[in-house]
Amino acid sequence: MHLDPFELHRPASVDDVVRLSRDLAGGFDYLAGGTDLLPNYKMHLNLKPHLVALEDVAELQGHTLARLGAMARLADLETDGALTAAYPSLGEAVREVATPLVRASGTVGGNLLVETRCFFFNQSYFWRASLGFCLKADGDRCHVVPQKEKCYATFSGDLAPALMVVDAEVEVAGPDGRRRMPLHELYDLGGDGIRRTHLAPGELVVAVHLPEASRGRPGTYLKLRVRPSYDFPELGVAASGVFEGRRVRSLRLAVGGADPYPRRFDALTDSLVDTELTDERLQEFSARVERAVRPVHNTFLLPDYRRRMVSVYVRRALTRLRESAAS
Amino acid sequence: MATTGSPEYRLLGTKIPYIEGPLKVTGRAEYTDDIQRPGMLVGRLLRSPWAHARLRSIDVTEARALPGVFAVLTGEKYPTPFGVLPITHDETAIAVDKVRYIGDIVAAVAASDERTAEAALAKIRIDVEVLPDYSDPRDGTGPVKEPIHARGLLGSNVQKEVVQHFGDVDAAFAQAAHHVRVRGNFAGVTHAFTEPLATIAEATPDGRLTVWSATQVPHYLHRSLSEVLGIPMHRIRVIKPEVGGGFGGKSDPLPHEIVCAALALETGRPVKILVDREDVFYTNHGRHPTQNDVRIATDARGQILAYDIEALIDGGAWSSFGTVTTYYNGVLSMGPYRVPNFRYRGRRVYTTKPPSGAMRAHGGTNIRYSVEVALDQLAERIGIDPFDLRDQNALPPNSTTVNEFRITSTSFRKCLAASREKSGWDQKFRKLPYGRGIGLGCGFYISGSNSPIHFTPKMPQSTVHLKVDMDGGIAVHSMQADIGQGSNTLLAVIIAEVLGVDLERVHVQRVDSDVSPIDLGSYSSRVTFMMGNAARAAAEELRDKLLEAASTLLSLPVSSLVVAHERFQSKADPKVGVSFLEALHTAMERVGALTASGAYNSPAMGGTFKGARAGTAPAYSFAAYVAEVDVDVETGAYRAVKVWAAFDCGRALNRLAVEGQIEGSIHMGLGQVMGESMNYRGTRLLNPSLLEYKIPMPQQMPEVEILLVGDDDPEGPFGAKEAGEGPLIAILPAVGNALYDAVGVRFTDLPITPDRVLKGIDLRRKEGRPWKGA
Repeated sequence: MHLDPFELHRPASVDDVVRLSRDLAGGFDYLAGGTDLLPNYKMHLNLKPHLVALEDVAELQGHTLARLGAMARLADLETDGALTAAYPSLGEAVREVATPLVRASGTVGGNLLVETRCFFFNQSYFWRASLGFCLKADGDRCHVVPQKEKCYATFSGDLAPALMVVDAEVEVAGPDGRRRMPLHELYDLGGDGIRRTHLAPGELVVAVHLPEASRGRPGTYLKLRVRPSYDFPELGVAASGVFEGRRVRSLRLAVGGADPYPRRFDALTDSLVDTELTDERLQEFSARVERAVRPVHNTFLLPDYRRRMVSVYVRRALTRLRESAAS
Repeated sequence: MATTGSPEYRLLGTKIPYIEGPLKVTGRAEYTDDIQRPGMLVGRLLRSPWAHARLRSIDVTEARALPGVFAVLTGEKYPTPFGVLPITHDETAIAVDKVRYIGDIVAAVAASDERTAEAALAKIRIDVEVLPDYSDPRDGTGPVKEPIHARGLLGSNVQKEVVQHFGDVDAAFAQAAHHVRVRGNFAGVTHAFTEPLATIAEATPDGRLTVWSATQVPHYLHRSLSEVLGIPMHRIRVIKPEVGGGFGGKSDPLPHEIVCAALALETGRPVKILVDREDVFYTNHGRHPTQNDVRIATDARGQILAYDIEALIDGGAWSSFGTVTTYYNGVLSMGPYRVPNFRYRGRRVYTTKPPSGAMRAHGGTNIRYSVEVALDQLAERIGIDPFDLRDQNALPPNSTTVNEFRITSTSFRKCLAASREKSGWDQKFRKLPYGRGIGLGCGFYISGSNSPIHFTPKMPQSTVHLKVDMDGGIAVHSMQADIGQGSNTLLAVIIAEVLGVDLERVHVQRVDSDVSPIDLGSYSSRVTFMMGNAARAAAEELRDKLLEAASTLLSLPVSSLVVAHERFQSKADPKVGVSFLEALHTAMERVGALTASGAYNSPAMGGTFKGARAGTAPAYSFAAYVAEVDVDVETGAYRAVKVWAAFDCGRALNRLAVEGQIEGSIHMGLGQVMGESMNYRGTRLLNPSLLEYKIPMPQQMPEVEILLVGDDDPEGPFGAKEAGEGPLIAILPAVGNALYDAVGVRFTDLPITPDRVLKGIDLRRKEGRPWKGA
């Protein structure tokens, strides 16, 4: 497998990026760490003639306790003890991404917008051609859930749920200027699975903002996968919240790796606030989350198993938060 | 360098790093892909997108017309069938008439560069009639609509059926006090060697063809090239550069190797074919998906009375080693135990999937898992310890099995004793808390096949040549194939040991059929035993010449001299002696450089019934492993915490290499237990990548305590036996049985993924059968 030629652009400012994206009118991809995009390109997955590299854009670089640049490298986050202590869910999630080598290149923005994954999509051109192309690339039907409308590929980033539960906001820039939105509103839960975010054409993520109010709040991220490194999540559960004894003062829960998008469960968690989280209620709560998640058979582990693990992982995550309040 | 040793030997038994190690770790070692030839073209293969189809026509006109394309080849040019076993030649270099699996080679291109070659492949037009595909071997046991090969038995897809019966199994079961039955189902696994397949070929104007290839068996490649291309062997030169792992996956002559040579002949230019990882998965020849049915009967005390075994083996599209596999699933089920009555029916069935073949501990792994699980079950039923059950059934040294295997050395009982003691078995078995468990698995394996594939009874199975000149460097030639397992190092160590010289004097030459005498290569765990004996014989011949010269120089009889470090000296007075170089230069007077040759052929053995030679070996290795596991009973995830690996490889000649083989085998075996699996949807492989084919990560490796307890083998070189394949077998049932001890569930199918563990735990709970109080 080899990379087909593309034209590489290296803009130096966000304004230049936005201009370029307008000129290239959709015929491009942003190139951040490249750890996912370039293997996908080798498989001829949705090739574009232009790549806009973001590595020279100074504004996208680096991170502080309040702001993660879109091009901040995961390895730099992982080794910043102050950051991982301030946002434990983020700290745990970033360490679980792929391998050290991938984290050295991989970026915050890249992980938030990582391509969704599916056995029938992440395959070589030969493989896909021999089966018949799918609706996510070059074709018009889904091989997982036979129909022609919706893609069920799984969202496979680790950072999104971990950042959602600390109420992170995402700053985007585009032809119409800048805007900020809660990270969990970036993802389009009503989409067709092909278009998965509310980003307008040409918009890019500039940074993630971390609210001071969440700093130091207990949090956790639990990742299900077959092997303890390398593998994408088959399920990722993030939680953050404050307990007084067993009493819930605040709680956020987000799940990734199971549906085509990461999502928060605010209605469910809000119902727990100012209540005692007994083992029975926890059991009941995690079963409700499990029922709300619908993995399909497009990854290594079977969907029934992944679903069942939702309640186990939710229970473990919340138990951990409850215990951290007790200690 | 030396850390531990034996008083008898200077080097043997110590830990010796690979002699090529510094070259490998600095990137200087030359693998096939590192070789560049002037004007070299890129060869590329067009693979079938159909599982089973008749080729109506292939139009290569447009592909050929593309600038930069030097040759486009289809199957009819070299239709001679080949295959690793002389009796089952059913592969062709490129598909002729039919394609038989997704990934089968339909055409090949040689072009100036990769992109041009791929563009040419895209321009090849193929018209086919799609045929019914066969993914499940059960569907191929009777007559089928479209047999995959004409050679299938009676219009079926059965490639080979083996039926054996020794003693009277029905009578034994009738009088048995206990019997158990285990039905196992095993997913296919593949070798996943580090270096993908690669070949370079060059036809030169002197009428010769040179082929460089990542192969375990240069000699069989040499033969196959000659047969298919119609060129006498002496005009073909096969060179084996460094090889980055094989595990059986580079032991067949493979189609791409022949295609590469054919493209070189077509173009008159050197051609390189690199097989990418996805295509390595399609080339496969890995461990067969298998369904087996094992019944074992014992008397009241647990003495084994009989085995009754069936195996249904999914061969994929070609025969490969399949006939051997079919025999091995039966005959390798018995040792290390005495089994007085034995019945076996094995069938290997073609399917339209990537071909299965030989993989590390070939034919002895899946069946062993089922047998060892059955024995664990028997021990529980009878109420005796699993160690005691195995100990009382152990084959004694110098015995003969019911199917006439000659067992010489066995330290199996010592393996049992060592792993039992070191693991703290008696304090742990059934006594660990719920979710934690300990299990025993045992095994044995051939130390070289007594009847090699190309069987010429009077021809040696291994030959080693030595040449030493004025400089005192010893050049070693042999076609043995170092594939990363350390055979070059062992060759050097044996020669240095016998001659008393420093290791740095010994230069093992690259395998080159022009100069290397034939050794049958790296398969069936034959190298240490066979090459080792040949090397020893060659070194002793050279040593005798040098001793003769020393005797002349010292005016002492040869019988009064001994070999010392870089010196030959008087037994009586070590101060009286000559240096290695002095003796060498004297020995060279009038004759010049010295040469010596050693060879090995295994003694005659085995019965006279059909298939009697399958599994006969000049020696066998034995193993008894204990694994301790920790199960997360809510998720079904588990981890092997520690493994005690007691192994009998006779004398370990290079302890570092032996330990590496055992650790690597445990890693590989754990892969098959924990998650490695070629997953299919129908005939389509879903996970042809190292991301989705789940080789365990280093974090999943348990602590391994290696217990080398073997006594010297009477015929092995310096008492050694194999340590390359046998070490894999026992880890699988050790983990399976440990999981039973942990959660009370029998896992008969591999891999044991977390969802299966959880399902088993659920079922046991549902049935109201608590385990360890949970």
